[in-house]
Amino acid sequence: MTAGDWQVVGFTIRVAALATLLILPPGLLVAWCLARLHWPGKSVVETLVALPLVMPPVATGLILLKAVGRRGPIGRLLGELGIDVVFTWRAVVLAMAVMSFPLLVRTARVAFEGVPVRLEQMARTLGAGEVRLFFTVTLPLASRGVLGGLLLSFARALGEFGATILVAGNIPGRTTTLSLAIYQLVQLGRDDQAYRLMAFTVVIAFATVWWSEWFLRRARRP
Amino acid sequence: MRRRALLTRLLLVTVLLPGPVRAAELSVFAAASLADALGEIAAAYERESGDHAVLNLGASSALARQIQEGAPADLFLSADEEKMNALEKRKLLLPGTRKSVLSNTLVIVVPDDSRLKITGAKDLASPGIRAIALAEPQSVPAGIYAKEYLKKIGIWSKVIDRVVPTENVRAALAAVESGNVDAGVVYKTDAGISKRVKIAYEVPRAEGPVISYPFAVVAGSARPEAARRFLEYLQSPAALAVFRKYGFLVLGG
Amino acid sequence: MRLALRNIRLPLAHFEFQVDVEVTRQVTALFGPSGSGKTTLLDVLAGLRRPASGSIEIEGRTLTDTAAGLHVPVRDRHIGYVPQDGALFPHLSVRGNLLYGRRRDPEGIHTLPVEHVLDVLDLAPLLDRGIGALSGGEKQRVALARALLSSPRLLLLDEPLAALDDELKRRVLAHLQRVRDELRVPMLYVSHSTGEVAALCHEVLILDRGRIVARGEPQDLF
Repeated sequence: MTAGDWQVVGFTIRVAALATLLILPPGLLVAWCLARLHWPGKSVVETLVALPLVMPPVATGLILLKAVGRRGPIGRLLGELGIDVVFTWRAVVLAMAVMSFPLLVRTARVAFEGVPVRLEQMARTLGAGEVRLFFTVTLPLASRGVLGGLLLSFARALGEFGATILVAGNIPGRTTTLSLAIYQLVQLGRDDQAYRLMAFTVVIAFATVWWSEWFLRRARRP
Repeated sequence: MRRRALLTRLLLVTVLLPGPVRAAELSVFAAASLADALGEIAAAYERESGDHAVLNLGASSALARQIQEGAPADLFLSADEEKMNALEKRKLLLPGTRKSVLSNTLVIVVPDDSRLKITGAKDLASPGIRAIALAEPQSVPAGIYAKEYLKKIGIWSKVIDRVVPTENVRAALAAVESGNVDAGVVYKTDAGISKRVKIAYEVPRAEGPVISYPFAVVAGSARPEAARRFLEYLQSPAALAVFRKYGFLVLGG
Repeated sequence: MRLALRNIRLPLAHFEFQVDVEVTRQVTALFGPSGSGKTTLLDVLAGLRRPASGSIEIEGRTLTDTAAGLHVPVRDRHIGYVPQDGALFPHLSVRGNLLYGRRRDPEGIHTLPVEHVLDVLDLAPLLDRGIGALSGGEKQRVALARALLSSPRLLLLDEPLAALDDELKRRVLAHLQRVRDELRVPMLYVSHSTGEVAALCHEVLILDRGRIVARGEPQDLF
């Protein structure tokens, strides 16, 4: 592994971790609402949340590009605040976050649904408000499932390609992630270097998914 | 017996008849910058010969790589000599068919609503420019030419942090069109097909890099004769006129 | 103790729950076959289920009044709940469970001293245990203490002894008697067992298909 390879590995892990942390609060909120609340139009929200999972990543990337591009509604606003998004590391984080959001929501929702409603009701009779109840009963009891989902999202973020290349480009040292680097190296005919990075991604992905499965297995136990 | 005779006759007719009946389908791997001109030429060629050219457009580097990996190409139209050399060295070209046909010019483009004042290539280093799109400068010909030129005028090291490398030259053009970058370095022929960019500066032929587009038939072609015919047609006055119309320069012409 | 349920109506799957009753004795039993609506009545009192119509008043304080659109949130009702399985928080220790709902009665009358509750239920030796390490009887005692420490004005008990063997039943029943006599907490006690009811309760309400069909003192009814 060269210094350049390590830069790519380090960068990818950092942005994927940041993306995963960023989606944690909204992901848990959405998952909790889906698990515990009923409202008209809930199925629309469910479908919207699942969309990045089934849509071609490039299509998701295009939507993001139109939204946060310099002429897009959000991009224009951020531009006025002096924040560039497209073709920067922020775009990488954004693409990863959007693509891994559904995985977190799905696993966390199942985890929340596994928490007995009776325990939450008892906490209320004991004087707990909804926020305290969430952090002292629901979240701790769902923690293994949530951690499993978090790791799964992280693994998904690590491998993101289609949306990233559209909104963030493939700028060496700035937006090039492992997947983009591997693609680039194959284009350049440097297969041996590509294999090295590929081996590395296999190791990280394997470890992350294995760990995630471990949490999810334990979460299923009573 | 009679049925067999009929079949033989049908076969003979199929082989001997000119035009659509014996049409070949050609797989043409071509540099992205050739897209529009080639589309027009291929359509005209199909009307004339019946042969249908399927265009696989992309960065010459990506296409060369695909051919190396055994992609079913009949013709390769590259935007630089280096990619063609690589294939020739691996004996992947049909000997004697390689010919450098076209040339092009580099231009600096900005979004049509841009208020940037660019009077020369050195202005790319000015502080108002945050992002410059160009084709990937290590492998894609348009990017290699752009880098070569920016190095020659001494601003490459100043602009390298602003460079947004793209998949191919048309993607660089698209990035400028979308307004997501402040400027781009593309071929003059690309700038010509877009209404949403304007040319801020055209690199004079004498100062720019030597750009040439070599064409060749691929060694593994299943239809080498049809491929040769299309290659010849590409150098016919009719085809060259189309290339010129789009702004290409015809070498040796 | 004065508890009044006025014209409580709630349609259930097989019948309409329909109760209009006033309770004044310290310990009242709710007696009746399974599915007669006993747990529903407790849930309505605790605020876990909203009746379609009716009002609930305890010691002169209105907790529910559908006509006035009033529904005091579960956490502010000061009604303790001991469900059948105890519903202890599995991720907390005994101490964590006991202190989860510790609060003082804002009006000062119902606050029970921690030491006294621990002593009555003999819980001091169990404080540092995990919930998984408790026997069935210990679990019920912890659930009882947890509810008592939240200073309830009324304690709801839903067949707290049903899952215990005879020996344990006898011992926990003795603890319940001490709670009744020493802590003097008003209780509504759901049970199937005439023995328990006779040993613990001052009055019995007999519920069938969502209606109170008889009431009286245990010795008169059994």
